[in-house]
Amino acid sequence: MDYSKNEMMAIATGREFQDGELAIFGVGLSMLAGFFAQKNHAPNLIAFTEGGVYGSTPVGGLPWGIEDNRISANATSFTNAVDALCMLVAAGKVDNAVIGAAQIDKFGNVNTTGIWEPGTQPWKVGKYTLPKVRLNGSGGANEIAVGAKKYLIMAAHEKKRFAEKVDYVSSPGYLNGGNDREKYGFPGGGPAAIITNLGILRPDPVTREFILDAYFSFSSVEEILENTGWELKVSPRVKMVPEPTEKELENLRAVDETGSLRKK
Amino acid sequence: MNNKLITMQEAVSKYTWEGMTFAHGGALPVGSDCIAFFREMVRQGVKGINCISNCNTQGTNLLAAAGGIARMEVGFSGLEVYGFANGLKRAVESGQTILEDYSNGGIPIRVMGGALGWPFVPTFINYGCDQAWCSADEPDIYPNPNKIREVTDPFTGKKMGAFKSITPDVAVIHVTMADEQGNGIMLGTEWSRFELSRAAKKVVLQADYIVDTDCMRQFPNLVRIPDLVVEAVVYWPMGVWPACSTGCYDSDEEHFFAMNKMLKTEEGTQEYIEKYVKSYSNHQEFREVIGKDKITKLSDTATAFLMDPYRKWIKSDAEVQELMGGR
Repeated sequence: MDYSKNEMMAIATGREFQDGELAIFGVGLSMLAGFFAQKNHAPNLIAFTEGGVYGSTPVGGLPWGIEDNRISANATSFTNAVDALCMLVAAGKVDNAVIGAAQIDKFGNVNTTGIWEPGTQPWKVGKYTLPKVRLNGSGGANEIAVGAKKYLIMAAHEKKRFAEKVDYVSSPGYLNGGNDREKYGFPGGGPAAIITNLGILRPDPVTREFILDAYFSFSSVEEILENTGWELKVSPRVKMVPEPTEKELENLRAVDETGSLRKK
Repeated sequence: MNNKLITMQEAVSKYTWEGMTFAHGGALPVGSDCIAFFREMVRQGVKGINCISNCNTQGTNLLAAAGGIARMEVGFSGLEVYGFANGLKRAVESGQTILEDYSNGGIPIRVMGGALGWPFVPTFINYGCDQAWCSADEPDIYPNPNKIREVTDPFTGKKMGAFKSITPDVAVIHVTMADEQGNGIMLGTEWSRFELSRAAKKVVLQADYIVDTDCMRQFPNLVRIPDLVVEAVVYWPMGVWPACSTGCYDSDEEHFFAMNKMLKTEEGTQEYIEKYVKSYSNHQEFREVIGKDKITKLSDTATAFLMDPYRKWIKSDAEVQELMGGR
């Protein structure tokens, strides 16, 4: 069967959503994964946007922004950010969500704010110097990381992105691991999986360190280890993720009208 | 009857000044914001703005590129699927703009605190992460204990974070339609415009349409910004371009990319300002700069039906001009 790595990543992410869940997706790939799930196996998945656009599905292609006209054309309610992002997401009412990451570490902390020269990160030098590259900041991902009952992190699997420790924690995962997250009393449970274009990582229930849970038909344990910037542990039960079914691919491509995931 | 309609030039010269705390909204990268107001700020050479932004938009991207933003508190500094905001990125990386990071919920909650008259707002968001520990205002302290302070819940004894509330000097808020008295209706998400309209010391509306007050009387539940909190109203059709205004026009993909590409360099920014900021002196000329065909295409939006209930109250350019005493 012919499909791209990004299509596999989106389908693997979509499979993590159950029917009836209250969910929130980011813009771009994560939105495609979510709406794929709704079309494929979770017709009662309820999705909304962080600014409070309810009851809608995208029309005319992938939205350029999470609340642009492509996702506002068939809404049943428009509210606001204090409502959607704070009262629903940050307050702990959302079941499942997807966020992206520019950099991610072994405890599932996500950086979307900036990349520093190695050795000059704020946590290393005790100063907040300017990053070498300024990124986009947290957006609504911090609210998801703090408040969602569980959430998924989607990222391209590259050594430079998968770091021992992120330069900047924009969205907290399990922080320094173990019970470190509990210290802050966050309402949400933390990241349930990191889903990449090569495989799936899940946290150890005690150490909260992410370990390799599954690879795809086109990848391997070795390839994933090579592309991870920390000493990734492998689950004794590591397995191959089932390939997309014809129905799954058909449903994903119906959602991804413009073919943005099909590019290899 | 209090007629609050003023021109864009008057609004910018009266309501912006160096060192002020300026808030704008919706502040969605691809959605509603007072982009036309920012163009006029750039034209008038406004500098030293302390900006409160839910998100960066093409307005802040342009003003930062032109060197007008001294400091910015923001939840998201990109342009969503359109990429990184090159003008803002350049201003931050060069040290010209001090960027204090929060998240998309953080700014609205802080504005809500300001609106309620609370000095602080308890929070779990932006707590236990680098939005708390890194402060651009105090870069020599890490982890910083002052930006998000730790407080104790007086009922349970548990620790949590506290945000400092925000009360901007001025908020310029885009609304889909306003009447001349300053009642405003927003279509699409409000983001934090409701809270902003109550938190700011002064509020200016930028409207795509001016409608008769009878429209407000027909849909009073939708008038989330009532006239009593508003000082001035500016009529500016296509005022969110190149982003989208729900019910009115879609985002202009071609110009969005072209603009961001030009803002990447100082030369490109000057060229942009010549072509798309200094090239008009009123909203009629502004629409000529965008182009008739382009406006027709962008106005053919899947959300256009949302405007249908209001159309009979829309005032024509001539009627608005008459309300403004011919200006």
